[in-house]
Amino acid sequence: MSDVSATMDLRRRDAADKLRGRTRYTIDRYLPGMLHAAVLRAGVPAGRIMRLDTSRAARMPGVRAIVTAADAPGMIGIGIADHPLFARDVIRYDGEPLAAVAAVTLAQAQAALAAIDVEIEPLPAVLTMADALKPDASLVHPDWRSYEVLLEGSARGGNVAWEATVVRGDVDAAFARPDVEIVESCFRVGRQNHVAFEPRAVVASYEDGRFHIETSTQVPWGIRNATARLLGVPASQVRVTVPPVGGGFGLKFDLAVEPFAALLARASGRPVRLVNSREEEMLTCLFRENADIRIRSAVTREGDIVGREAVVLMDCGAYGGEQIFLTTMTAHTLGGNYKLGSVRMVSRAIYTNTAPNGAFRCCNGVYNTFALERHTDEIAARIGMDPLAFRRRNVLGDKDLGATGQIFEGDVLGPMLERMDTLRDAAAPPPARSDGRLYGRATTVGTWFVFVGPSAATVNMNADGTATLVTSGVEIGSGSMMQSLPQIVASTLGIAPEHVVVRAADTDAAGYDVGVGGGRTTVSLGAASLSGAQEVRTKLLKVASEMIEAAPDDLVMRGGRIEIAGAPGSGRTVMEVATRAQALGGPVSGTGAFTGAGVPAMPGCVAGHFIDAIDIPVFAVHDCEVAVDPETGHVEVLSYRVVQDVGRALNPRAIHGQIQGGVVQGLGYALHEEVTIGSNGRVCQNGFETYRVPLALDVVPVEISLYEGAPSIGPLGTKGAGEVPILNVGAAVACAVANATGKRVQALPLTPPRVLELLLDRTQDLALSHIADAWTDNLIRSYQTAHDK
Amino acid sequence: MGFNLTVNGDRLSSAAEPATPLVDVLREEMHLTGAKPVCREGFCGACMVLVDGEPTPSCLLPAALADGREIQTVEGLAPLGQLNRIQAALEVSDAVQCGMCFPGMVVSLTHLLTTRPDATSDDIRAALTGNICRCTGYERIVEATLLALATA
Repeated sequence: MSDVSATMDLRRRDAADKLRGRTRYTIDRYLPGMLHAAVLRAGVPAGRIMRLDTSRAARMPGVRAIVTAADAPGMIGIGIADHPLFARDVIRYDGEPLAAVAAVTLAQAQAALAAIDVEIEPLPAVLTMADALKPDASLVHPDWRSYEVLLEGSARGGNVAWEATVVRGDVDAAFARPDVEIVESCFRVGRQNHVAFEPRAVVASYEDGRFHIETSTQVPWGIRNATARLLGVPASQVRVTVPPVGGGFGLKFDLAVEPFAALLARASGRPVRLVNSREEEMLTCLFRENADIRIRSAVTREGDIVGREAVVLMDCGAYGGEQIFLTTMTAHTLGGNYKLGSVRMVSRAIYTNTAPNGAFRCCNGVYNTFALERHTDEIAARIGMDPLAFRRRNVLGDKDLGATGQIFEGDVLGPMLERMDTLRDAAAPPPARSDGRLYGRATTVGTWFVFVGPSAATVNMNADGTATLVTSGVEIGSGSMMQSLPQIVASTLGIAPEHVVVRAADTDAAGYDVGVGGGRTTVSLGAASLSGAQEVRTKLLKVASEMIEAAPDDLVMRGGRIEIAGAPGSGRTVMEVATRAQALGGPVSGTGAFTGAGVPAMPGCVAGHFIDAIDIPVFAVHDCEVAVDPETGHVEVLSYRVVQDVGRALNPRAIHGQIQGGVVQGLGYALHEEVTIGSNGRVCQNGFETYRVPLALDVVPVEISLYEGAPSIGPLGTKGAGEVPILNVGAAVACAVANATGKRVQALPLTPPRVLELLLDRTQDLALSHIADAWTDNLIRSYQTAHDK
Repeated sequence: MGFNLTVNGDRLSSAAEPATPLVDVLREEMHLTGAKPVCREGFCGACMVLVDGEPTPSCLLPAALADGREIQTVEGLAPLGQLNRIQAALEVSDAVQCGMCFPGMVVSLTHLLTTRPDATSDDIRAALTGNICRCTGYERIVEATLLALATA
């Protein structure tokens, strides 16, 4: 409990130094005696390493250490351990690491890379999912059966790294009904690069038998554990600390450069700095994955969705990585938003000889929402129903079943759609349009979640009346560590949020944490922090009650004082009580821990899933108006509106900033951020000239309404607010462009050439021949085996 | 060999290779890590500095060509412990997120404030074409600049 509100527009304590150039990110850390490292990367997408000889490089000037596959015996992964640190014998993607060098200067390290003698025999490569799924395709992992399985329950085989399915109800019967229309839609999306401004960067040292890794990451504990596994050392030998991070967006939710620097530090006895070049970041960034999607629905003329089936193919690149986990999300994103009479979906992560993909803000959700919402508009058109009326009729409400049979609580999307109607109706009517452009608008809905899971916090009460919050949380830019967490602790203890010191992440100081991402910082770390602060509060109130001679229940903590309720100015200051408490029984502290609630799915519905049901759903309604130039194919976004389910907004102004930024990242995805892979297996966009991110001239101010009050197990009723703003941007823009042009939008991004092709009817209807016509033919696991109850 | 730079009023000498990008000399020799080498191609603006008062991406300028010219980095825009007009406006507007682009933003906008006191919202957007931000979606930055112009 607390006696003062945690809601406030608290400013960021890190802003002033960031604005003065004084903040020291990982790339700004230069240690005395530090060496510089560089990584030798493969230049072919598939090949056999015939010879790798570092002896000449080792004699180059300034070289202090060289490490190769022999130095990193372990394998890592999510679900399956398929990923070594260095290519061993076999190269699986262009850019795969072969060796790493540390030298006195970066130029010397790079010169030494050129002196490593490598002989590679090229092998046939599969560069697309269509190629990978051909019956005679060469296997990216011929030894896939031998890999250690870290999570049981999935079907795998050949180039299918992982398969997750959900089956609820009798879909065949639904599709066979005489009173339904069958609507089928296919979609394709490319990759998206995070373009975090701070590249992956690390400074590692090795002292007293332990590694100290200072790195730009979202997952300090993930780095600790994965580095240890790769190096074959106990995880307790790895300490990870994290300076301010210059942008994450999911890119830094996985290990990248850390083990190279750790190995080189141990081998050289010197601190080692390794920073990816921008080109390395562009070519090997753990992109948002490209995906191919087919979705079919059986819908009555009245507008009920009685059956739905889908196949989603997600390109994981050369190693499974996050995509293994993300196959889970299809059931909750493509299977979200709407009431479904029956449903079956399969989500498959496919190996290709391309750079591994990874996590990116609303991973999986962004393109599945695009597909779902475009499909929804095609359904509405087919049955002749207004698309908004169709949505109002079908959105998930209180006690409705989700795709995996979980029971949703509360009417949230319905009232959010009404809120959007109000916003839209209040807007000034658009000016007369006679410029020859095509105008369109769309309203889309989206379902996302909070990636809960374990977090720990310790709150140390200091005798000076301040509190120190110790967690493994990282400030990646979203502000959660600077705003919501100190707000939660401060309101519980009745002190100013400026008096809550926030300790930067250090795995030696704070307990396990899943990481900063998935909208979980305010929720999971916040819940642990709240619980720790409440323990401190209870202890202080007990001491205060003796000092003030009043029952603890009659006391309140506010304004830096512990007072008798209703008697402002009575009692003592928090500092006095903390000092007294420390003298009586030693320093006061509290600890907190949190993990998910474990909302159940319907038994037997899912297979190969990491999350069967979502503990905290997060909903979003977006509305977008566009103008399309028929001469150039250029799409201009004229207005953008967001109604976002936030549970409770602790810092409304900070959330508005997240929404504006997330929408703009989504506009880049929707309109011009395009990644292509050449016939040589290499990503074609190697810098800012060829990869076009949104500029100040591209964007519009987003009109925002925060929807509060939806049920949440988050602390103080919160939900994650920073991840979800990107969720339905691709959907909203695509639906608006389809409405403006009357053309079938099946792919993103909507670059001018792609839009022009649509307008000129030069676009062939998207055919996904690598998705079998019968849904069951897309499964490795036999349908009966998987879901026989 | 060697050349002299005047950085934030201090006269400093460097023995770096003449073609070394200015940003590397500033960061690695002079410990001025405010300028960020993000793209190293002159597109992103995160390494922007003022050279004789003109915003210049320091990744594209060979350090020796700055010999004898006045360089101002983000660290030198306000007296120690204070914020200049645009820094204060950005701080009060809660504009900052990850912060990597802001040293360059602040340099460009400090220049805009002195040279274009009548700048409109569109002028500000145009002036930021060479300063990319991946976090904020720009609106707060534009608003803060208008605020700073209004409080001149």
